[in-house]
Amino acid sequence: MNFDWITQFPDTFKLNINDSIDQFVNNLNRNFEGFFDIIKNIVLSFLNAIGFVVNLIPWWLFVIIIFVLGWKSSKKIHKGIIYAAFLLLIGILGLWELMYLTLIIVIASVLISLLFGLPIGILVSSNKKAFAIVRPVLDAMQTMPSFVYLIPAVMFFGLGKVPAVIATIIYAIPPVIRLTSHAINQVDKEMVEAGQSFGSTRLQLLTKIKLPQALSTIMTGVNQTMMMAVSMVVTCSMIGASGLGEEVLIGINRLEIGRGFTAGISIVIIAVIMDRLTQGWFNKEKLAKGEGA
Amino acid sequence: MENILEVKNITKIFGFNTGNAVKMLKSGSDKNQIFKKLGVTVGADNVSFDVQKGEIFVLIGLSGSGKSTLIRCLNMLYRPTSGKVLFNGKDVCKFDKKELRKFRRNNISMVFQHFGLISNRTVMGNVIYGLEVKGVEKQIREAKAKEMISMVGLDGWENYSISSLSGGMRQRVGIARALANNPDVLLMDEPFSALDPIVRRDMQFELLKIQKLVQKTIVFITHDINEAFKLGDRVAIMKDGKVIQVGSPEDILENPADSYVEEFVKDIDKTKILCARHVMVVPSAFVKPGDGPHVALKEMKANGVSSVYVVGGNMRLIGLLTLDGAMRARNGEVSMEEAIIKEIPITELDVTLQDLLPVAAEAKYPIAVTNEQGQLIGIVTKASVLSSLAG
Amino acid sequence: MKKRFLTLGAIFLLLLSVLSGCKSNDNQAKVIKFADVGWDSIKFHNAVAMLVAEKAYGYKTDEVSATTPITTQALISGDMDVLMEMWTDNVSTYEKDISTGKYALMGTNFADNKQGFYVPRYVIEGDAKRNIKASAPDLKTVADLAKYKSVFVDDEDKSRGRIYGAISGWDIDVVMNNKYKFYGLDKDFNYFRPGSNAALDAAFTSAYEKGEPIVGYYWEPTWLTGKYDMVLLEDAPYDVTIYKAGKCACPSVNVTICTSNKTLEKAPDFVEFLKKYQTSSVLTAEALAYMSDNKANYVDTAKWFLKNHDDLLIKWLPTAKADLVRKAIK
Repeated sequence: MNFDWITQFPDTFKLNINDSIDQFVNNLNRNFEGFFDIIKNIVLSFLNAIGFVVNLIPWWLFVIIIFVLGWKSSKKIHKGIIYAAFLLLIGILGLWELMYLTLIIVIASVLISLLFGLPIGILVSSNKKAFAIVRPVLDAMQTMPSFVYLIPAVMFFGLGKVPAVIATIIYAIPPVIRLTSHAINQVDKEMVEAGQSFGSTRLQLLTKIKLPQALSTIMTGVNQTMMMAVSMVVTCSMIGASGLGEEVLIGINRLEIGRGFTAGISIVIIAVIMDRLTQGWFNKEKLAKGEGA
Repeated sequence: MENILEVKNITKIFGFNTGNAVKMLKSGSDKNQIFKKLGVTVGADNVSFDVQKGEIFVLIGLSGSGKSTLIRCLNMLYRPTSGKVLFNGKDVCKFDKKELRKFRRNNISMVFQHFGLISNRTVMGNVIYGLEVKGVEKQIREAKAKEMISMVGLDGWENYSISSLSGGMRQRVGIARALANNPDVLLMDEPFSALDPIVRRDMQFELLKIQKLVQKTIVFITHDINEAFKLGDRVAIMKDGKVIQVGSPEDILENPADSYVEEFVKDIDKTKILCARHVMVVPSAFVKPGDGPHVALKEMKANGVSSVYVVGGNMRLIGLLTLDGAMRARNGEVSMEEAIIKEIPITELDVTLQDLLPVAAEAKYPIAVTNEQGQLIGIVTKASVLSSLAG
Repeated sequence: MKKRFLTLGAIFLLLLSVLSGCKSNDNQAKVIKFADVGWDSIKFHNAVAMLVAEKAYGYKTDEVSATTPITTQALISGDMDVLMEMWTDNVSTYEKDISTGKYALMGTNFADNKQGFYVPRYVIEGDAKRNIKASAPDLKTVADLAKYKSVFVDDEDKSRGRIYGAISGWDIDVVMNNKYKFYGLDKDFNYFRPGSNAALDAAFTSAYEKGEPIVGYYWEPTWLTGKYDMVLLEDAPYDVTIYKAGKCACPSVNVTICTSNKTLEKAPDFVEFLKKYQTSSVLTAEALAYMSDNKANYVDTAKWFLKNHDDLLIKWLPTAKADLVRKAIK
C-alpha cells in the first residue's frame, strides 16, 4: 500500500483550475469589451475633469492654499507654514509636475471610493446578510496581491491611468466601507431606541442620529482610504501610471537610490499633508460642537 | 376608570428556535429550562395586564424578569412573538409602518435609563426632537419645547450642550422631550436608576408633581421596591418573564400572592413608602370658632380625645384647642380666641413617613393633614404612625 | 498549570526552529542560487541548469527572484551564484565589472536574439479568418509609423498615437526612446513606458486577442513572440557608432552566463559545465513554444528539451554525468 499521501498532498486530489480561470478572463476580455469601454470612458472623463482643475492651479497658488488650509484646520499658523514648506520641497526636488500627475490619480481614486464606499457602508450597516456577503469580498480586496487584479485590469482597460485608478479603488475602498458600517452600528443603542420611540423614519434615524454620531469614525475611514490610495502609487506605476511612482520605479530598476528616495519622500510628504489636513479639519468640527467626551 | 392600554398574552422570545420554545412554554417549561435546552431567551411569558387612564402603573422585578422586554413591546421597539397590545381598543401589534409611526409620534413617548439623549445636540435640540421628526414648524416647536424645559425646571439651559449637564438634569431633559409630544402614555424604563440616591428622591418627587399637572398615564419600570410602592398606583411584580401579582401597594403588602412576593416585599422600608395619606384618620371631633369652650369640652368628652381641631367655613383649618386651653377659656382666664393654638404641625398627603417621623416624635400635638386649599382632611397621630410601621 | 505548559511548549518549538535553522546554514553552503530576473527564457535555462546541478552533481539549488541591477550587485557580493542570461548590452556596468574581475564570465548562452518595435502581423496583412482588415498595409520600417498615428491611437489622448516603450529603467529603454525621437515620432505619438514586464505582456495579449492594432518594444526569444505572430519593424543596418542614439536597428545581444567569484570555489565541477553551456535563440524559442502548447511547467519542459537534444548532453557533460541526467529524465 502506498503511504506517500501521509507526507505529501496526494496528487489525485489536486485540481487544476488555472486554465479555466485563464479562459474565463479571456472570455470576459473578448465578450464584454463594450461594457469595459464604457467604464473606461467614464473614469477617463472623470480623470480629465480633475486634471483640468488641478492643472489650473499655478505652483505658488497651490503652496498658498496648503498654507491657508494647514493654518485654518489646526488653528496654528506654524503648522500652515510647515506644510507649505514641505510642499515647496517637492518642487525644489524637481518633482512638481510629476506630483500633479500623481495627485490627479490619487484624488480621482479617493473621490470615487468615497462616492461608492459611503453609501455601501450605510447600506451594509443595517443588513446582516448583505454584510456577510460583502465582508469576505472586502477581505479579498485588501489582501489579494495587487498584481493579481492589476493585470486583468490592464487587459480590460488598457495600460495607463484608468486601470491604476480602478486598482487603487479596489485596494482603498474597504476601509471606508468597513468603518462607516462599524461606526453606524456602534452608535449608542439607547440613542437609537429613543429615536425610534419618537416615531422617526429610517431616514430620519440615519440623518439625525446615526450619521452625526458616527461621523468621527467615518472620518477615520475616509482618512485610511486616502492613505491606502497613496500607498498604491508605486504599484500603479508598474502598469504605466506616470508620476512620482514611476520615478520610484525607475530608481529601483536602475539602482539609482537617490532618485527613488527623493520621489519616495515626495510621496510621503503628500500623504502626511493629506492626513493632517483632513484630521485637522475634522477635529476643528469636534471642537466647535463643544464635544468633550 | 377606563383602560387605556390592555396587554393580552404577550410572549416575546429572542433567538432562532422560537417555534420549539413556544411549544415548551405551552407545556409548562420555564425560562431557565428553555434556555438550557434551546439556547433561546424568553423575555416575556404570556403576560397580561391592563393600565387605567391617568394612573402610574409600575412594573417591578429583578434583572431578567422581563420588565424591560415588556415595556418595549408596548411601543413595538420589540415585536412580540405572540399576543396583543390594545391601545384604546386598537391592536398596536397589527399596526403597519405608517400607523406605528403615527402612534409613536402622537400617543406614546419613552424615557430611558441612561437618558438616550443625542450627545451632539443642545438641550433645546433634544427636547424638540419628537416635534422635529413630526414636521412641526420651527417656531411652534421651539415654543412648546421652551414650555417643557420650564416645567422640568431647566429654564435658561436651552442652549447648553448635553455634556455639561449632571445626570439629574439630563433626565429632566429626557422627560421634557417625552412630554413635548403630548403623548397619552408615558413609558419610563428605570428612569432614575442611574442617578444618585438623593437626586433620585428629588426626581421621584418631581415626577409626582409633574403628574399632578399633566395627568398622563405612566408605565414605570424599576427594580427598587421602595420606588415602586412610592410612585405606583398599581404595581405588577414580574419574575422570569411572568407577571406574578398585580395590585395596589396595600393589596400586595397585605395579600402577597406567593412566597416569592413575600420575600420580595420583605425589605420594604415602609417609612419611605407610606405617606400621610396611608396613616391618617379622619378627625371625628372639630369645632368652629363661634362655638364656645363648653361645646368644645363636650366634643372632647364625647369623642374621648384631649384636643379638638378648630376649622372655619368649608373645613378650612384654623388651629387646635386642647383640653387645658378649653378649661382655661371656660374659667375666663383667656378668651376663646387666645386659647386656640395656631402654630401646629401641618403636613400634606404625599409626605412620606420618613419625613413625618421626626415631626411626630417631637410634636406635642397630632399632625394635621391639609390640602392645597388649606382644608383639614385628616390627622396623623403618633400612635397611628407607630402602628402602621409595626403592622 | 495550563498556562505554564503552553509557555514551555512555545519555548521548545522556538528552540527547535532556531536549531534547525542553524543546521540548514551548514547545507546552505552547498546550495547554488540561480537568479530569476523575470522573463520566461531565463526560467527555462534555470530549470535545465538546476536539473543538471542536482542530478549530475548532487547540489541543492534555489531560484531567487530579483531584477537585473540587483542580481548584478548580488553576483559581486556573492549572494547570487548564477545568472543564466546576462543581456550584456542592457547592463551599463558589465564591461567594467568583467574586466576588473568583480564576477566571472562563463561563456555565451545565445547571441542570435532580436529586439525592437513589434506589431502583430494582422495589422500589416490582415487576418481573413478573424475578420481583421489590414489597418497599416504599407508598414515596414520604424520610420513608416509616422504615417499611422490614427491606427495606433492612444485611448487616453485621442489626438495622438501610442508606442509602448521598454520597461522603465532598462538600458534599452533609453535607446528606444532616442529612436522614437530620431524618427520624429514624438510629434504625433506618446512614448508610453509600461512599468513592468507583466504589464507590457498584458497590453500585447489584450490587443492581440481583441484583434486591435498595437506597436511596442519587445524581444525574442519569448513565449509571447512564440505564441503570437508578430513582425519586427525594420530599421537602418546596425552600426555601433549610432546605435545608442537610436538611429539603427538593435544588434543581437550577446547573452552570456555569469557566476560570482565564490561559486568558482564552491562548485568547481558545476562551473566547468556552465562554461560549456550554450544554446541558441531558436532552441530557446522551441522550448518556450513547447511549454505554451502543452501547458507544461519549466521543469517538465527542461526534461523534454534534454530528452530531445541528447547531443547537447554529450557536448556539455562527461559520460558518467550525462548518464545520471539521462536516468533522471526518463
